[in-house]
Amino acid sequence: MTFNSLTFIAFFAIVVLLHSLPFSWRTKKINLLIASYVFYAAWNPPFILLLWASTLIDWQVAHWIDRTEEPSRRRLIMLLSVVFNLGMLGYFKYGGFLLQSFQSLAAMAGVDYTPPAWDIVLPIGISFYTFVTMSYTLDVYLRRARPGDSFLNFALFVTYFPHLVAGPILRPTDLLPQFERESRATGQQVRWGLMLMMLGLFNKVVIADGLLAPVADKVYGAKDALTTLDAWFGTLAFSGQIFCDFAGYTTTAIGASLVLGISLIDNFRYPYAAIGFSDFWRRWHISLSTWLRDYLYVPLGGNRKGPGRTNVNLMLTMLLGGLWHGAAWTFVVWGGLHGLFLVGERLLKQAWGHLALWKGWGGRLLLGALTYALVNVTWVFFRAHEFPNAWRVLGAMLGFGAPGKPVLTTWLIVSVAVPVAAMLAIHAYMRERELHVEVARRPVALVGVVCGAMLFLTVATQGGSSAFIYFQF
Amino acid sequence: MPSSISSSEENRPERIEPGQLGSQPYVRPLPEMRAGTAVLIALFAFAIALAGWEVYWRAWGAEPAIRNSPGLWAIQRGRLDHGEGHKTVIIGSSRMLFDVQLPVWEQVGGERPIQLAIEGTSPLPVMEQLADDPKFTGQLVIGVAPDLFFTGATYMADKFELYPKETPSERVAQWLSMTLLEPWLAFYDEDFALIKVLKRQAWPAREGVPNFLSVRKLSVGQADRNTHMWSKVENDPEYARLCQKIWAQHFGDVPFGSEEVLHKKIVEQIDRAAQAAAKLRARGVPMVFVRAPTDADYRADENRWFPRATTWNVLLEKTGVPGIHFEDYPAMQGLRVPEWSHLATADAEKYTAALQPLVEQAFAAQHKGD
Repeated sequence: MTFNSLTFIAFFAIVVLLHSLPFSWRTKKINLLIASYVFYAAWNPPFILLLWASTLIDWQVAHWIDRTEEPSRRRLIMLLSVVFNLGMLGYFKYGGFLLQSFQSLAAMAGVDYTPPAWDIVLPIGISFYTFVTMSYTLDVYLRRARPGDSFLNFALFVTYFPHLVAGPILRPTDLLPQFERESRATGQQVRWGLMLMMLGLFNKVVIADGLLAPVADKVYGAKDALTTLDAWFGTLAFSGQIFCDFAGYTTTAIGASLVLGISLIDNFRYPYAAIGFSDFWRRWHISLSTWLRDYLYVPLGGNRKGPGRTNVNLMLTMLLGGLWHGAAWTFVVWGGLHGLFLVGERLLKQAWGHLALWKGWGGRLLLGALTYALVNVTWVFFRAHEFPNAWRVLGAMLGFGAPGKPVLTTWLIVSVAVPVAAMLAIHAYMRERELHVEVARRPVALVGVVCGAMLFLTVATQGGSSAFIYFQF
Repeated sequence: MPSSISSSEENRPERIEPGQLGSQPYVRPLPEMRAGTAVLIALFAFAIALAGWEVYWRAWGAEPAIRNSPGLWAIQRGRLDHGEGHKTVIIGSSRMLFDVQLPVWEQVGGERPIQLAIEGTSPLPVMEQLADDPKFTGQLVIGVAPDLFFTGATYMADKFELYPKETPSERVAQWLSMTLLEPWLAFYDEDFALIKVLKRQAWPAREGVPNFLSVRKLSVGQADRNTHMWSKVENDPEYARLCQKIWAQHFGDVPFGSEEVLHKKIVEQIDRAAQAAAKLRARGVPMVFVRAPTDADYRADENRWFPRATTWNVLLEKTGVPGIHFEDYPAMQGLRVPEWSHLATADAEKYTAALQPLVEQAFAAQHKGD
C-alpha cells in the first residue's frame, strides 16, 4: 500500500493502536513484523515469498560467514548471498533489459534474433530490500559487525514497513540496536512524527503529483519539437517532482516510524542547494550513495590507488548506480553523467579549487546555480525513458533543433514557477540548518497553522493513491 | 555518492565493533518546542478550513455522491466473474451511463443490469475484454456515442485497465472511500479537487496555447454505478451553457486533423467491433447497439463527421448486430438534453422505459435465431 492511500491511514491507525497496548516488547515486534508483511502483501501477496527467501538466506549466510575463519571459504559463502540477491534482482528487474540489449547487439552483428516475451512483473521495492539484506551479510563478511542472535530482530530489520519499499536503505547498525531493547515512543516523538508525516504527504500529494507531474508529463509526452521555455519548465518540473515525491516518501516514513518510537536516518539534506556534485551526493538519496560508497567504491579501491584509478572507480560506481535505478540505457547515461561531473569536479578542484573566488557568496552562488543546471540536464535522461525523447528535450533546452511549439498554458507555467522557486529558496536557506531546530525557533501558533494548512491542502487536492516514483526501482 | 572529498556519515551512528551489536541506538533529534500545542492548532486549523471548504461546495449546489472511480467500475466488473456472468451488461460511454436508469430498467424488465459504461471512452476495449472472458454469458447492450466509438477514444482507460491488476490495497481503499467518505462529503468529488479548481481560473492565454476548458461535473452516481444528471446542469442555465461551451470547443474541427485519417479510424473501429461481436455470438451472447439522443450543435457536429449512413449503418451491417437508434422511435423524440449530450434525469427515466422493451425484443430475436 502507498502512504498516500486510505488503506494506509487505516493500517497505520491499527498498527499504532497495537503498538501502544501493554504487550511485551517481543509481542510488539511480532506485531510490527506481521504488519510489515501485510503492508507488503497488500500489493501482490505472492511476492512476499521473495522477501522471506531473501531474509532467510542472508540470515543463514551471515551466521555461516561468522562461524568460518578460512578467508576463501568466507568469501565463497559471501558470494552465495551476493549471487542470490543480485540474481533475484537480475531476473525480475534486468531480464527484459538484457534480452533487448542482446537483441540489439545481435542486430548490429547482422543476426536477426527475436527474444522470447519477458512478461515478468517487478516485485515492488526489490532493489531496496535486496540492498538492505546484502548490507547485513557484507558487514559481517567485512567484520564490521557480528550477526545478531535474534531472527525476529533481523526479519523486522529487513521488513520494517516504513523503509521496506523505497528506503532509506538501512544498515544493521541503523535499526537492530533499536530493536534489541524496548523503546516506547515519547509524546514529543509522536507529535513530531505526525508533523513530519503531514509535511511528507503534502510534498507528495500537492507538490509532486498535483502541481509538477502534469507539467513534466505534458512536456515529455509531447510529440512535436518543443520551445526552449517549455523544455526547461518540463525538466524543472520533473526535478522538483522527483525530489518532492522521493523526499516526501522518506519524510513520511521517518515520521511514521517516529510515531512508533523508532528513529530512521535521513535520506535527503536539501540537495538543490548543493555546491558541486560531491556535495549533491551527500544530500541526495544519502542511504544509496553511502551504500554504493561502502560496498562498491571502497572495495574497488576508492581513492587509494591513484588519481586515474579513482576516476575509473567513480565512473564504475556511478554507472552501476544509474543501472540500479532502472533497467534502461537512459539510466546508465544518467549515472554516467553524474560520474563525469564528479570526475570533472575533482580535476577542476585540483586546478582552481584554491582560488578565493569560490569562498565568497558570489562564487558559491554561481557554483550552486551551475550544479543545479547540470543536475537538471541529467534528469532529462532519467525522465525521458528513450533516447530520441531525451535528445528532443535536451536539444530544445539548449536551443538546438527545429523551432518548437509551445505546449504549456499559463497555469502550467505558474504551477511550476511558484513551487520550484519556493523549493530552491527553502533549500538555500536550510542548506546548513536542521529542520527540527528551525521549526523550534518559530512561534508555536505559526507552526500549527502551517501544518494545518498543509493537511488541508493535501486533503483538498484529493490525490489518488498514485505510486511513488521510486517504488519502480 | 562516493567522492574523494568526504566520506563522512554524519547522520549514522558510528560503526559498531564485532560483538557489540546494539550498543549505540540512533535517536532522531526532536524540536524543543510545545509540539502538542502545535499539533492541536494544526488539527483545529485543518478542521476549520475543511468545514469551510465543505460549506462552500454545498452552497454551490454540490451533494455527496459515490465517485465514479476505477475502483467502483472494478467492483461492478468483478460481479461478472463472481456468479453474475449471465446478466445483462451495459457498456458504452457517458450517454449509456447517464441516460439508462437502472431502477426503471429493473421495474420494466424485472432484472437490474450491470452498468459498465465509461464516460469519455469507447466501449470497444471493454467489449473485447468481455469477448475474451468465458465467464460472461449474459446479454450485452453497447452504447454508441459516434465521436468516441468511431474514433476509438479512451480518455478514461484507467477504469477498465485497473480491474485485471487491482491490488488488495486498492480494493480496501475503494471500500473505505465509498463507506466512510463519499456518502458524507460533498467536496470529495474529482471536479472540486483543489488543483482542478486552480487550473480552471481565468489565467491569461499564452500565445499559441489555447486554454481549453475541461469537462465539468455532469452527473451524480450511486454504489452500483446507477448515474443521473446532476441537478445543477438541469436547473442552472448558466452552468448548462458552460457545459455546452466546453463541448463546442472542438466543434468544426475534423477529428485527427484529416478526413482521410478519420475514415481509416472509423473502418478500424468497425472491424474491431465485428471481431468482438463474432466471438460473443459464438458463445451465444445476444447483443444490441444503442444510439442515445443528442441535440442542437452537438448533434449537428456528430452528423457532420459521423453521418449515420457511413458509420452506424455500416456498423450494424458488418457486425450483424441489431441497433436501436433514437431517431427511429417516437418515444425517444423530444426529450430534454440540457447540455446537448445527456438527458435530464426525468427524461432519462422515460428513455429507459422506452428502450428496455426494445432491447429485450432484440435479445429475444437473437435467442430465437439460435
